[in-house]
Amino acid sequence: MTVRDRHRAMLPGRPAAGLAVLSRNRPFLTLLIVAAVWLVASATSRGFGSWGHLRYLVELAAVIGIVGAGQTLVMIGGGIDLSVGAILTVTAVGLPLLSSGADPSGIVAILGILGLASLIGAVNGAGVVYLRVHPMIMTLATATFLQGALILLAGGSAVTVHNPAVYLLGNARPLGVPAGVVLWAVVALATVAVLRWSRFGARVYALGANPLATALSGVNVPATSVALYAASGLAAGLAGILALGMNGQGYVGIGDPYVLTSIAAVVLGGTSILGGLGGYAGTVPGAVLLVTISGLITVVNASPGWRSILFGSLILVLLLVSGREVPRR
Amino acid sequence: MTSASAAGPRRSLYWSVQARRNRGIRGLAVVVAGFLALYAALFPGLLTLAGFAKFSQTWFPLALTGMAQAMLMLAGGISLSMGATVSLGAVVAASVMAGSLGVAGGIAAVVATGLLVGAATGFIAVRLRLPAIIVTLAGSFIVGGAALLVLPRPGGSVPPWLSDLLAGSTPTAFALLVVVMLLWKLYAATPLGLSLYAAGENPVGAHRSGVPVEAALICAYAISGTLAALAGLFVAAQTGSGDPVIGQAFTLNSIAAAVLGGVGFLGGQGTMRGAVMGSLLLTAMINVMFFLGLPPVAQYIAQGLIIVGAVALPQVAERLRRPRKRRST
Repeated sequence: MTVRDRHRAMLPGRPAAGLAVLSRNRPFLTLLIVAAVWLVASATSRGFGSWGHLRYLVELAAVIGIVGAGQTLVMIGGGIDLSVGAILTVTAVGLPLLSSGADPSGIVAILGILGLASLIGAVNGAGVVYLRVHPMIMTLATATFLQGALILLAGGSAVTVHNPAVYLLGNARPLGVPAGVVLWAVVALATVAVLRWSRFGARVYALGANPLATALSGVNVPATSVALYAASGLAAGLAGILALGMNGQGYVGIGDPYVLTSIAAVVLGGTSILGGLGGYAGTVPGAVLLVTISGLITVVNASPGWRSILFGSLILVLLLVSGREVPRR
Repeated sequence: MTSASAAGPRRSLYWSVQARRNRGIRGLAVVVAGFLALYAALFPGLLTLAGFAKFSQTWFPLALTGMAQAMLMLAGGISLSMGATVSLGAVVAASVMAGSLGVAGGIAAVVATGLLVGAATGFIAVRLRLPAIIVTLAGSFIVGGAALLVLPRPGGSVPPWLSDLLAGSTPTAFALLVVVMLLWKLYAATPLGLSLYAAGENPVGAHRSGVPVEAALICAYAISGTLAALAGLFVAAQTGSGDPVIGQAFTLNSIAAAVLGGVGFLGGQGTMRGAVMGSLLLTAMINVMFFLGLPPVAQYIAQGLIIVGAVALPQVAERLRRPRKRRST
């Protein structure tokens, strides 16, 4: 397999055809792994394969998947967002504080907090582009900053939400499908559409592949980057509202697990950490895979230490199967 | 440079190169001196031997992990499992020293653990060609899980005389830091040490010129792991026992120290003295904020702002300088 084939299979807008191409298609491979894990797990562990349990897994994966949508965008654009956990926490803790009597449906509060989340993301992007701070440092610093702001905001205690829209999102099941999964499907469609068919998506791939050439070809790199990180903030905010609805409570630290899992889901799904390659189609099975693994580990009644070791080792093994970095050129 | 040429061409080359390397960290040195002066003004006790000893003890573990991180970043790698390795070093030290093997056995066990963890990480990242960020991300789960296996909850003990020697009122920590820096100087002069910069700057070119790129990288990971585990030993000596999650903050702070010191993310850029100075800046900053009586909340916020500011300032200054230069030519 040459690198060019690989590029061809990964680039947006080129439909894959035939088994040979399909076997090289990373999203498809990840999906195969998920299917294999689910089959083996339902054969060996009773109750795993039940409709209710699988639905629960996908519902859990929705939060990772939505955070992963923003993370996928940023990583294709050659960056990384380590502040998604903090942004998620800010929305989950901040939303209950915003809710007031003048807003019975709770929609205004949701829009307000999503605006705040996008704004935080935009600040990340501005720092990366205008101050030339490396994305990892910029987003880590934002996360540190938010951590302090959160304690000021919430005083460290959990806050209960009384927002009807949020409650509906976390608990409603139209036609048996959890509302969170519906939200995920909408986010997924939007992300795939933006990456594949919009000019913005094409610019994101170009930016990740070669920022200098992109700038020289007349792309407005600052605007693209700011929009990219703002989208990641928005996605983390959406995930925060969903997590809040599912939990009923927001607390400091609710978003912490999603930093690592969102990055792992993106990479397991075949998006290059160097940028310019990949897509959201892989992140979706990647998120389901991660949730499945943690679900399986809880079933294997082990101590927290072993559970953590198992989780890390399984991610490594999966990466060896599907996550090898393609050497460039 | 002309005055140095009298000492012979070789020496003048060495010193002019060193001077050029120092130029990048001159601004940082000024900021560090400012913070230290502020700290000394707030807390005159810093200028006594005991005060200096206490200060160097808060600095030492961050300096070690900053060096460990800088070494990897110079070689083009990075570690997100730094904090977990520090924790593992702390629990191994506390549990072995509490047993029959004593202090010597404890130190040997810590060094062996660090070497093993580092070498394994390096092997996986380099030989199996997986991206370092992901490998060390998964590694942080594995190493953190191992720390939980060694000591599920804080326990073990470090002999009081060792705690007194390392974290008492004598500046042993500072002396050790000087020794470690001299060892780095020695290492940087060996073929493997020289290969480190080459491997980071241009891996393909270095490989083609016969530089053992893979060996240099794996050695860097092994040494980095050892330094992190030793930092854990020191932390255990400071607290008198081992805590399986005590190292968490070191992941972020070690990266921040290296980046503040001018070490780049792409490899081959920066100096070890810069990284050590970066760790000094972080330590002085945290101490000053503590003495100003800022609540921990404000410390988070200030830390986030200062990290971004310190990283962004040279970049912005550079950009302000460049157009002026272009006009003059």
